[in-house]
Amino acid sequence: MGRFILRRLAFFAITLLTTSVLIFTLIRAAGGNVAAILLGKNSSAEEIHKLSTELGLERPLPVQYFEWMGNFLHGNLGQAFRSKQLASHLIWSQAPVSVPLSLGGLILAIIIAIPLGTFAAKNFNRPSGAFVAVLSQIGIAVPVFWAGLLLSLVFGVHLHLLPTGGWVPWSENFVGALRSLALPVFTLGIVMASTLTRYTRTAILDVMNEDFVRTARASGMSRRVALIKVGLRNASLPLVTVLGLLAAEMVGGTVIIEKVYSLPGISRMILDNVTAREVVVVQSTVMVIVVYVMTINLIIDLAYGLLDPRIRVGK
Amino acid sequence: MSEKLQSVKNSLKRPRKKSRLPLIVGASITLVMVIIGVISMFWIPQDVNVSDPSIRMLPIGTPHHLFGTDFLGRDVTSMLMTGVRTSVIIGASAAFLSLFIGTLFGMLAASISKLDEPIMRTADIFMAMPGIIFALVLASTIGAGYVTTIFALTSFFTPAFVRVTRASSMRVLSEDYISVARLYGRSRLFITIRHVLPNVSSILIVQFTIYFAAGVLSEAGLSFLGVGINRPSVSLGMMLHEAVEQIGITDPLGVWPGLGIVILVIGLNLLGDGLRDYFDPRFSQRVR
Repeated sequence: MGRFILRRLAFFAITLLTTSVLIFTLIRAAGGNVAAILLGKNSSAEEIHKLSTELGLERPLPVQYFEWMGNFLHGNLGQAFRSKQLASHLIWSQAPVSVPLSLGGLILAIIIAIPLGTFAAKNFNRPSGAFVAVLSQIGIAVPVFWAGLLLSLVFGVHLHLLPTGGWVPWSENFVGALRSLALPVFTLGIVMASTLTRYTRTAILDVMNEDFVRTARASGMSRRVALIKVGLRNASLPLVTVLGLLAAEMVGGTVIIEKVYSLPGISRMILDNVTAREVVVVQSTVMVIVVYVMTINLIIDLAYGLLDPRIRVGK
Repeated sequence: MSEKLQSVKNSLKRPRKKSRLPLIVGASITLVMVIIGVISMFWIPQDVNVSDPSIRMLPIGTPHHLFGTDFLGRDVTSMLMTGVRTSVIIGASAAFLSLFIGTLFGMLAASISKLDEPIMRTADIFMAMPGIIFALVLASTIGAGYVTTIFALTSFFTPAFVRVTRASSMRVLSEDYISVARLYGRSRLFITIRHVLPNVSSILIVQFTIYFAAGVLSEAGLSFLGVGINRPSVSLGMMLHEAVEQIGITDPLGVWPGLGIVILVIGLNLLGDGLRDYFDPRFSQRVR
C-alpha cells in the first residue's frame, strides 16, 4: 500500500506540472499584446513597450513560465497588473462562496444518490424502482442553470422562502450566508445526484448477475443483505470512477450556478479577469482549481486502491 | 402430464417480456429532434437575426409566430428550430469524437500494461482541467463558436470514456474465461475485440448517449455563460442567456428553450437505455 500511495503522489506532481505548462501555453498563446490591452486604444508603441518591459512580459516565455511556476510553488500566486491585488488574496476571497457550494453539492449528491440508486436497482421490476429510475432520467436531462432558474422562481419569487440571488458574507450574517447558499447547493446537489443515481443503479444491476452475488444468496443471505454487503462493495468500483468524473463536473456546475444566483464566486472572478487580460491572475486561478480537482481525484484514487486489492497490486 | 408440470414448462419456455417502450419513445423523440434540425437547415419561418420592434414580445400562439417573439421582435419558433439543430450537431460531434478516441485509448490502457500509466495520467491531466473553465479561457483566446465548443467538449469528455472503458475492460480481463483464452494462445488483439469489446459495449452505449446528452447540456451551459454559441448562430442555451439578461427569470421565454433541452436529452437517454436492453442478452436473464 505504501508504494501504491508513493506512486500516486509522484504522478500527482507530474500531472500538475504538465497541466501548468498546458494552462500557461493556452493562456499566453493567443493572447495578443497584454500591455496594449491594459493601456487602451490611445497608447503609443513606446508606452506599450515600456509597460511590457516593466511587467516582464518582454522576456522569453519559458523564463516567464519558470518564474510563475517557481513563485506558485512557493505560494506566491502573482498579482494583478492593474490593481496590484495579490492573486492569492483574490482567490481566497472567493473561497467562502465557491468551496461550500461545490463540496456541499457533491456531498448532498452522494447522500441522495447512493441509497436511491441501490433502492432503484433492488426494486428494478417494481413500480417504486421504475419511478426512481424515471425521476433520475428527468433529473439528468435538466440543465443545471434551468433547474436553478425554475427553483429560484418557485422558492424565491413565488414562495418567498429563500433569496433568489446575491450574497451575504459569513462574517456579516451566518444564517444569511447559509440562506443564500441553500438554493445553489440544493440545485447543484440534485442535478449531480440524478447522474449518480443512474450510475449506482446500473452498477448494482450489473453485479446482481455475478456469481458471487448468487453464492451469497445461496449461502443464505437475503436478497437485500446480499446486495448491500456483497453487491454494493463490488459495484463501488465503477462508482468510484464516476465520482472522479463528478468532481470535475462539480466545478463546471459551480461556475454556472454562481452565474444563475449571481454569487460573487470563482466564476465571476475568472470571467472578469479573462476579459481584463490579467493573464497571471487567470493562470494562477485556473491552476488552483486544477489542484483542487486533482486532490479530490487523488483521494478517490487512493480509495480505489483500498476498495479493490487487485488495483493496489497492479494488474 | 399433470397441469402443474405443464404450467412450469410454459413458464420456462416463455421468454421474459422486455419492454421496448423506452427504445421506441427515445428513438422517436431523437428522430423528431433530428428532423427539426434538418428542416431548419433548409427552411425556417423567419430569419433568426432580423428584429422588428413593432412586434416585440408577442404571446405564444400568435398567427405566423407560433411561439411568439422575443424582446427584439425576433421569431421564437425559428430560433427554437435553429437551436435544436445546434444542440444536435454539437452534442453528436463531441460525443462521437470522444467515444472514438476514448474507447481506443481505454482499451490500450487496459490490455497493454506498459501504456496504462501514460494513458491514464494523460487522461487525468485533461480531466483535471475543469471543462467549463477550459472552454471559458479557450473562448476568450481563440474566440467562441462551433469549433471551439466541440473541441472543448471533446477534450473534456474523452477522459471519461478512457476511464470507463479501462475500468470495465479491466473487470472483463480479470474474468476466468480471459485467462483461458490466453492459455489457449489467443492474441491480445483477438481477446480485446472478441471478448472485451462486446462485454463493455453496453456500458459504452450508455456512456455515448449520456455524453451526447451531456454535450447538449454543456453547450447550453457554455452558451448560457456567453462563451459558447453567439449570434448570428443560435442555440437553446444562448436563448436562455438572452431571456435572463434582458428580462429576468420570470420571463416566459425562459421556459421553451429549457424544455427543448430537457426533451432532447430525455429522448437520447431513453434511446440509450432501450438500445442497451435490446443489445445486451445478459439483461434479459437477470437474477431476481
